[in-house]
Amino acid sequence: MDKNDKTLADTVWTRLDRKAGAIIELTARQLRHRISTWVVLGIGVALMALLLLFYVDSVRKSFDPIDNDGDSVDEDNDGYPLGQEMKYGTSDYDASDFPGSGFYIPEDEIDWNDNVRTFSGNKTWNGAAFFQYEWIDYNYTGDWWDDIVDWDSELSSCPDGQIFIDWYPSYGEACIVDTDEYFIYGKWKGNGLATVPEEWELRWGYYSESFEVTPDPPEMYIDEDDIDCFDEAGNRVDCPSGTRLGGSHGFDNDGDCLREEYMLSETNVQLALDYDLYYRFQDDRNGNGIKCDVFWLVDADGNEVIGISADDNVDEDPNDERYVGELSHRTFIIGVGKMAFVILLGLFIPLFLSLGLVRDETENGTLHFLLSKPIHRGEFILYRLLGYLAIVASYVIILALIVGLITATLGPGDQFFRFSDLPVWLGIGISTTFVLAAYGSLFNTMGLISPKYGVYFCIIFGIWEFMMGTFSIINPNWTVSSISITHWALQMIDAIVLMAWPDTLQWAEIGLAFNIETGLSFFWHPPVHTLGTQSPGVALIISTIVLSLVSFSMIGIGQSVFSKREIM
Amino acid sequence: MTIQNQPVPTVLLDQVSKLYGQVIGINDVSLAIDGGVTGILGANGAGKSTLFKLLMGRLKPTQGSVRLFGINPWSNSAPYRKIGYVSESERLYDWMTALDFVSTLARLHGMTRDEARERSEHVLNFVGLDDVMHKEVGKYSKGMRQRVKIAHALVHDPDLIVLDEPLHGCDPIARTSIMSVIRELGNQGKTVLVSSHILQEIERITEQIVILHNGKLLAIGNLHAIRDLLDNHPHRILIKCENPRSLAAQFIERDPVYGVRFPNEGELEIQTNNLAKAHSILPSIVLNSNQKISSIENPDDNLDSLLGYLIGDANDG
Repeated sequence: MDKNDKTLADTVWTRLDRKAGAIIELTARQLRHRISTWVVLGIGVALMALLLLFYVDSVRKSFDPIDNDGDSVDEDNDGYPLGQEMKYGTSDYDASDFPGSGFYIPEDEIDWNDNVRTFSGNKTWNGAAFFQYEWIDYNYTGDWWDDIVDWDSELSSCPDGQIFIDWYPSYGEACIVDTDEYFIYGKWKGNGLATVPEEWELRWGYYSESFEVTPDPPEMYIDEDDIDCFDEAGNRVDCPSGTRLGGSHGFDNDGDCLREEYMLSETNVQLALDYDLYYRFQDDRNGNGIKCDVFWLVDADGNEVIGISADDNVDEDPNDERYVGELSHRTFIIGVGKMAFVILLGLFIPLFLSLGLVRDETENGTLHFLLSKPIHRGEFILYRLLGYLAIVASYVIILALIVGLITATLGPGDQFFRFSDLPVWLGIGISTTFVLAAYGSLFNTMGLISPKYGVYFCIIFGIWEFMMGTFSIINPNWTVSSISITHWALQMIDAIVLMAWPDTLQWAEIGLAFNIETGLSFFWHPPVHTLGTQSPGVALIISTIVLSLVSFSMIGIGQSVFSKREIM
Repeated sequence: MTIQNQPVPTVLLDQVSKLYGQVIGINDVSLAIDGGVTGILGANGAGKSTLFKLLMGRLKPTQGSVRLFGINPWSNSAPYRKIGYVSESERLYDWMTALDFVSTLARLHGMTRDEARERSEHVLNFVGLDDVMHKEVGKYSKGMRQRVKIAHALVHDPDLIVLDEPLHGCDPIARTSIMSVIRELGNQGKTVLVSSHILQEIERITEQIVILHNGKLLAIGNLHAIRDLLDNHPHRILIKCENPRSLAAQFIERDPVYGVRFPNEGELEIQTNNLAKAHSILPSIVLNSNQKISSIENPDDNLDSLLGYLIGDANDG
């Protein structure tokens, strides 16, 4: 207690407060009166406006339904889109092969070494044979490039001599042997007696009944197979499921994996040994024993999806507003937070505003007014930096929140306003503030150590930081990049994203598994420095401590340099 | 230690030297100053600003020790609670009003916003800026800016006020008002240090002077005593008039005048070895001559001739 009956804390602290307040206020007002401040901050606003335009133009477009799996096309112009042809197992590259067209079912064959070398019947044939015909389907005719005999062109008589010894036909050709007999090499339909030459072979079968299938409109095959998740009770829930993350999810909404109307029953498929359709029919690609599902793999404690594996054609064309929109939206926020806020604003604002915080006062001679007051030089540096931070921190936080308000209003989802975005934007603002503090104190110290050449050091350092920041975005696990300030701020954002949107891990996996290429897994990785806990909170605390340590040690160096400096 | 019980002089320099590389700023200066206005006289480069910057802890003495109220100002900012410093720097925050500027700096003394504002209004009033204190400093004349600087140095009612060339570049009116402010501070019993390179300025403010020359302490003491020594040495008085020759005739007969010259058309130069006495007879002769006198100047009455005399004296001795 001193003589005025004030406690020690009272007098010391209020006096400190008042001095700090005065210098912080002076610094902030000084920055407000400098044109360069407004230019730098104005460029920041312009950058954000540009990015918002990009958001409106490009990211919002991704909410429009698109055909992710490309099955709404009709390559062979038979009127049936690919998705419909897949359900029926027909080819979209063959106009004669379409849903309901019927298909070839093989029956039997005469081999090159069979003893019985004749067979009679009304069949679809494929091979080499002398064919005494009662009836030939001249409508089943082909072109030079398929194997079907071209009945439309004029047939000639077969040459003399023994076939395959004296003369060779080409595949898909026929020639006249007698009035009711052809030699045919290829595919044809007809009723008669076939005699197969020694060491040659003939297969035969029949075409299944054709039936009428109405072509589906192509729009049916856009967003037709959304990502499906189920809870324990088997009820469909929003993906990623909050209650039952791992296990078998997914449902083949459009039926192109299940293929209930598929032309081949399984017994038929077994028969069709030589038929490649068998290999087209694959309904358990992920090999978990469940047909047409999506397997979500979770980690040991069951709260993180570490992999998603889908059977073919399951959940392959998700709802774009919900999935692509959500992923693009998050990617935009994380990308803008990392690239625009932390790396660009974080570097350029201090470069222009903090380098001369104390140095310029020395050069102008105005420092004499401030230092002739009972204030320690070290205190002075600290308060100057606080004044600078007061301006730039409120700038980045307000800017982040404004961009956040706009995107949260425009963003995807049923809700009118995406409240869950705001903590992320606030986190981006705070991370940027930490960067601004660290660079600010570093650059200010450099300006003090070398008033002349400090700026060059800062530029070189800025290039290093820019590179390390970019590397940290691509691969935060790369150890070298952690020798940079940006790395730790980017880690803060990664951690904050995971805390505000705990399902981001799942979303990144969804993006990878269902080929939704929005760049989320490029811009966002789970935080690295968690001391093995994988807890984003730990990562956030560590990053905050690292950045604070950098700031304080730089302030300390600046203080000791400045305290020993003679001022002319 | 017994020294603790003795009164500590406000300003104490003990064999202080300051070198800038090879260049000498201050060379072996010892000084103790306490109470009243002291003029620090010296030509440009004599070491006045170096001396002040040593006092204000801006520079670290190469040798010797500097004490303000018994405290080393290089390592401790505590003495500044009781010191006001007007630097030679011309730059101010042009975008601030005078009141803003002074009260912002006042808050660095730990005053609250209201206290600072009240004190600032008071000192701005004291230096005669009460009607313009809400204008931006950038719009001020040089004399007004000097007074703002003085106001900021006075805002916390300091015991020691250090003014580095406060009259530099000021118009005569500002000069007069600043001089009266400084005299008033001296009358209030504060220790005031004023530097200048113009003898007449200091003469109008104080009698107690310190003369620096080439970084060395050349003289210290009462200006009148030094002045009297100087007066008894040859001096010139330059009179500009219509008819120098008729005026010269009246001077040549009188006692302290031992010679006249006509350096230019319409100019008369009187040579004397007692300046005070010559000035005492001058008015009556001028009145009797019925001439129109345009100016009377003492070209030898400046620091250079004082220094010349003192150095010459020192060399003689």
